[in-house]
Amino acid sequence: MDNPKSDPVVITNLSTLESFLSESANFRNVSYISPIPEVCKEYPCILGIDEAGRGPVLGPMVYGTAFIPINDQMLLEVLECADSKALNEEKRDTIFGNICEKSSKMGWAVEVIAPNSICNSMLGRSKYSLNQVSMDSAIGLIRAALDNGVKVQHVYVDTVGKPEKYQEYLKSLFPNLDIVVAKKADSTYPIVSAASICAKVTRDHSLKVWDFVEGIDVKEFGSGYPGDPVTKRFLVDNCDPVFGYPQLVRFSWSTAANALENHAYHVEFEEADEDNNTPQQTSMSITSFFKMTSSKTKEKTMHEFFTQRCLSRKVEL
Amino acid sequence: MAIHIHSGKKHLKCNLKESKLQSVPFRIHADCDAPVSTFFEPYVQTGKNDNDKNPNLTASFRGYPLKGRKIELPEGYVGVLLHESSRPSREKDERNFYVVNKFKDMVYWNWDKIPSKNDAYLNVLDWIDVAEVLHSPITEE
Repeated sequence: MDNPKSDPVVITNLSTLESFLSESANFRNVSYISPIPEVCKEYPCILGIDEAGRGPVLGPMVYGTAFIPINDQMLLEVLECADSKALNEEKRDTIFGNICEKSSKMGWAVEVIAPNSICNSMLGRSKYSLNQVSMDSAIGLIRAALDNGVKVQHVYVDTVGKPEKYQEYLKSLFPNLDIVVAKKADSTYPIVSAASICAKVTRDHSLKVWDFVEGIDVKEFGSGYPGDPVTKRFLVDNCDPVFGYPQLVRFSWSTAANALENHAYHVEFEEADEDNNTPQQTSMSITSFFKMTSSKTKEKTMHEFFTQRCLSRKVEL
Repeated sequence: MAIHIHSGKKHLKCNLKESKLQSVPFRIHADCDAPVSTFFEPYVQTGKNDNDKNPNLTASFRGYPLKGRKIELPEGYVGVLLHESSRPSREKDERNFYVVNKFKDMVYWNWDKIPSKNDAYLNVLDWIDVAEVLHSPITEE
């Protein structure tokens, strides 16, 4: 959760959000936390967590949190924080702007997890699943709030997996907090809706200002869901036969992987198991001991120094 | 089978542009130009807490995380890139290679593993020192 920028940027509306996003490298994870209102340091708070952009084949996944003193939570109703999926983009943008304006009452934070960082986690040597990435991001947000002095008391987390195990895990990490992990928490708890809106708006705008490192000049790539014709078109039109896709795309998604099978050169990757170079032919069949023919004089083998370095003699002197 | 390497010396003396070499841990079934400078190089990042002389590098290929290190060729050696215009169909035929470029260093990449002395390709350079000791003429003191 460290922000590499020297002077802290403050996001106060959509345009400062956009400039924050466009100034950050889009191939690295980026975090932001709003200034903490004094009331959030003084009075016990509720804190909600939700994510946006888990499913799509392109763009970042954004984890968001919002927090407000328990006694002020009526404000969330006034701000019309409801299930973010039931709101349209325009409405979400408006509510986000209003959340920013209430900076004396409530705060928020996001972590933008770069698409390439998701791929690298999923395609690494030791698998780091999307669920684990998600949990760690949520944990990071709770920590950031605590580290910045928010008096967190109740935590509400939206989950896609099994809530019980996740809840237990979070409770083991934060024994002093009351933690509720629930499915569809964003439609049940207004504070989770607020978090969800922050996450969704951040994701949408991060795509809006997406600047391709690869120098591709494309502004339309659709929602990123496999069924979206604009996304389909994008994946067909912007495939490099060697590198595949720009790093906006999540290579680890089957949609992308399947498309590459058809449109790009085949690449053989190292298999994870192949890694330990077990010495070959160490096992002999038991019957070999009973062979009548005396074994031939052992062929002259090269010293390990050479075999370990894949060196062999190519020219007879 | 005879192997000819053409225009080696002549080429190396005139200043060929030194090429940037990336040794990648996978096989791309293609032989073509690729937009390395836009799709790969901008993503190469230097590790934070490493020694400045030879820091660990990270990059990515088709979503796979790569870890790399710059490898300098030993003093007195130069790497060359060879090109064969047409590969003969028969095993016995002569093969002709042309020196098309040279290099002094390369970046060696592993899939999600920091290059180390466990990598055969890095250890191979040890042979140069050993060969030097074994095969250099003995001079009387």
